[in-house]
Amino acid sequence: MSQVNVATENKSFVQHHFVDAEQQFDTAKLGMWIFLVTEILFFGGLFCAYVVFRSWYPQTFMAASGHLDKILGGADTVDLICSSVTMALAIHYIQVGKEKLTFILLGITFLFGAAFIGSHLYEWLDEMSVGIYPGSAYAFKGISDPHAYVFFTLYYLMTGLHGIHVLVGMGLMAWLMVKTKRGRFSSEYYTPIEITGLYWHFVDLIWIFLLPLLYLVD
Amino acid sequence: MDSTETKNKIKLKVRHFPLDENPPSHYANNKKGIKSWLLTRDHKRIGIMYLCTITLVFLFAGIMALLIRLSLWNPANHIVAAKTYDILFTLHGTMMIFLFLVPGVPTTLGNFFLPMMIGAKDVAFPRLNLASYYIYVAGAIFTIFAIINGGVDTGWTFYTPYSIHSTTNVLPMTIGIFIIGFSSILTGLNFIVTMHKLRAPGLSWGKLPLFTWSIYATSIIQVLATPVLAITVSLLIMERVLHIGIFNPALGGDPILYQHFFWFYSHPAVYIMIVPGFGIISELIGTFSKKRVFGYWFIAISSLAIAFLGFLVWGHHMFVSGQSALASTVFSLITFLIGIPTGIKIFNWLATMYKGSITLKTPMLYALSFIFLFTIGGITGIMLGALSVDVHLHATYYVVAHFHYVMFGGMLIAFIGGLHYWWPKMTGKMYSETMGRISWFLVFVGFNVTFFPQFILGAKGMPRRYYNYLPQFETLHRTSTVGSWILGLGFLLMAVYLIHSLVKGKKAPSNPWNARTLEWMTSSPPIGENFNYTPVVTHGPYDFHRPVSEFLLGLAGSDGHGGNGDLHPEGGTPVTVEESNN
Amino acid sequence: MSEQHHHIVPVKTLITIGAILVFLTILTVFFGYLHLPSPYNAIVAIGIAIIKSSLVVMFFMNLYWEHRRFNIMVFLAGLVFLSIFIGLTMLDTMYRSHIVPGF
Repeated sequence: MSQVNVATENKSFVQHHFVDAEQQFDTAKLGMWIFLVTEILFFGGLFCAYVVFRSWYPQTFMAASGHLDKILGGADTVDLICSSVTMALAIHYIQVGKEKLTFILLGITFLFGAAFIGSHLYEWLDEMSVGIYPGSAYAFKGISDPHAYVFFTLYYLMTGLHGIHVLVGMGLMAWLMVKTKRGRFSSEYYTPIEITGLYWHFVDLIWIFLLPLLYLVD
Repeated sequence: MDSTETKNKIKLKVRHFPLDENPPSHYANNKKGIKSWLLTRDHKRIGIMYLCTITLVFLFAGIMALLIRLSLWNPANHIVAAKTYDILFTLHGTMMIFLFLVPGVPTTLGNFFLPMMIGAKDVAFPRLNLASYYIYVAGAIFTIFAIINGGVDTGWTFYTPYSIHSTTNVLPMTIGIFIIGFSSILTGLNFIVTMHKLRAPGLSWGKLPLFTWSIYATSIIQVLATPVLAITVSLLIMERVLHIGIFNPALGGDPILYQHFFWFYSHPAVYIMIVPGFGIISELIGTFSKKRVFGYWFIAISSLAIAFLGFLVWGHHMFVSGQSALASTVFSLITFLIGIPTGIKIFNWLATMYKGSITLKTPMLYALSFIFLFTIGGITGIMLGALSVDVHLHATYYVVAHFHYVMFGGMLIAFIGGLHYWWPKMTGKMYSETMGRISWFLVFVGFNVTFFPQFILGAKGMPRRYYNYLPQFETLHRTSTVGSWILGLGFLLMAVYLIHSLVKGKKAPSNPWNARTLEWMTSSPPIGENFNYTPVVTHGPYDFHRPVSEFLLGLAGSDGHGGNGDLHPEGGTPVTVEESNN
Repeated sequence: MSEQHHHIVPVKTLITIGAILVFLTILTVFFGYLHLPSPYNAIVAIGIAIIKSSLVVMFFMNLYWEHRRFNIMVFLAGLVFLSIFIGLTMLDTMYRSHIVPGF
């Protein structure tokens, strides 16, 4: 007695409980969209804390935010936008069967991510060198508002959490590059690239909001 | 490739697939060896593993409860030290809520039966399902470590600022909760996608069993609320480790903000805990009244309404915390609204039983107990939701009684009912009906003796989480403690006869309760693939007037012989069927 | 085959959207230097952010061409619930008589 539903396509990547590749792809996409909603709520907690404290201490936030480098923030944003473009291009090229270009574009996306992380590390180290630390370790005398550390605590938390997500994204890029090189993807099956793309664009999305909230308050 | 998604009904060739009562192998023995269990992708095996794990958790947390009640035997408690008492109730609450009730029904009965009820071969992401289980175990290990290392004394709510500078093992406990949160999120994600994508042909949303609707609503809550718990717990960890000052008033933070964060998850969490129970009760009442569940769409939509409204009321836990009066008023008002969809369910169940053909088997006894006990719990919840009343009853035993009536008298009773209902299907064995009824009686009586006095205690002013009390409360406390012993006995008996059934129980038929939902249309226990054909659904889940044979329809050729060609319609597309001969 | 059901975004579209996003970024930083009076600084900055994020969601994450309306609803639901979270919390934080004692 066959256990196989006769309608299951005979494709090695289609799992046994799916009827066809299309159903599997759609399912994966829906799964990723739901996961991104959980991320919205996860980051959302920090956004809520930000909104609450900013509504209580608007002057503090303006004074503290002025200390951050807007140009650097803008450059970081442009970096992530470019990485989103290369990610979307990587998907485009696998859809038309050009795996080699996909590999290169995934690599460029990875490098954009690395540049972002590097830029942040630089910014953090720069701040810490003058005594700007989160919470009770704050020791910077350069801002007259004594409660400025509230802003910087949120700054470190939000950019830190975002940075972790960028690192995870970079890990996913590397994994995708390995699998692309090994020929695991084609125009017929590129689901992991598609859903990693969704994740990466979402990470960009969060930063698009972090820029005005952290760097452009004044 | 032609997609067959059309707006009109499509015609399918179907045939009757006779049920094999005794297949040569089933899900539990088709692959042997411990690795076949630990690395399984079968949702049924994963459900069983979860069941075993959470039973152990329940046992441990239950013993904590017995110790709590024991230590309250004397007004001037000399049985345990004050700090020990704090640790006992913290562990009891944390384990019962995060490790038992929240995963509870979805991961066990949900995992086992959701795919079967929708005619699928597995959940959407089987490997993710297994990962969810291991993530749960990892989180549980952190929790166990925290317990062995001396426990936590903050209460399961971990309110700041005490949780920031408590010297107990807050850190491993909160890390454990963070990890378990992921398990909950991934399970919810899996189930939502499964229900959207893997329904059998003909199974429109209006033909789904109400248990699946409740799992759907629960999964939505899990996906939306749990991430906020994750960030709350992360920030608490940051507070303890890095002293960041978001919730610590000494550093300019706001402890009430912590409560907002915490309860934004934890109130919807109580609906995560109870809504699957509602689904089980719908199934039990329908089957044991042999009658279509009254007001199907009202019950289905009310689950979604409860899921939504549950997100708007969290502030009713914070009426006396220092929250603004405006917020308190708004939260109180919305809290009253939640009673409406819940009340609708209760009345629909009663209407289902009216003029039904009722059999009082053990699952039905639990279902009836649920209606009685949950109504008490629910109404006292509305009473607590009244701002003016809550000011007096907050943090008294009234609250403790309320939530035990809804969580234990509601959720746990429903879980046990469901366990007994589906026990023959999962294990292939029947338990002793007599023992089931005796145990039910002990549990029901024991529960009321334990918790009803607590309403009175609370109304008279006995605060919760206190390890000693004024002498005038002694009688009520001792009554409650005796009740806990009756409860313990009831559960002990339950464990005995259930385990006995595994070894010596009568072999179960495929459909011992004569139900009509798809999981009963397979052998007991089911085969690994659930169905070796693609089921086609043409009737509703409570069409008891239709013969069982009409529920054994499948796509002709889906077992490998004959065929419908390339036709594989989108799950849930309306279908018309044509009996085929092959 | 599968790709007939998957919309392929043209390269030109992607580059164009990317360029618009870069331009909007430069614009928002420029406005940052103008130090507009509150609340206009916040309105402009968040407004531009909303436009940018809509472009990313619609054209990079393909919601513009998404034939599964449910995916769109899922995303919007996330935003709705985040608004509920922040909104109802602020119903408390904005209306307290005393914000954080001792700060």
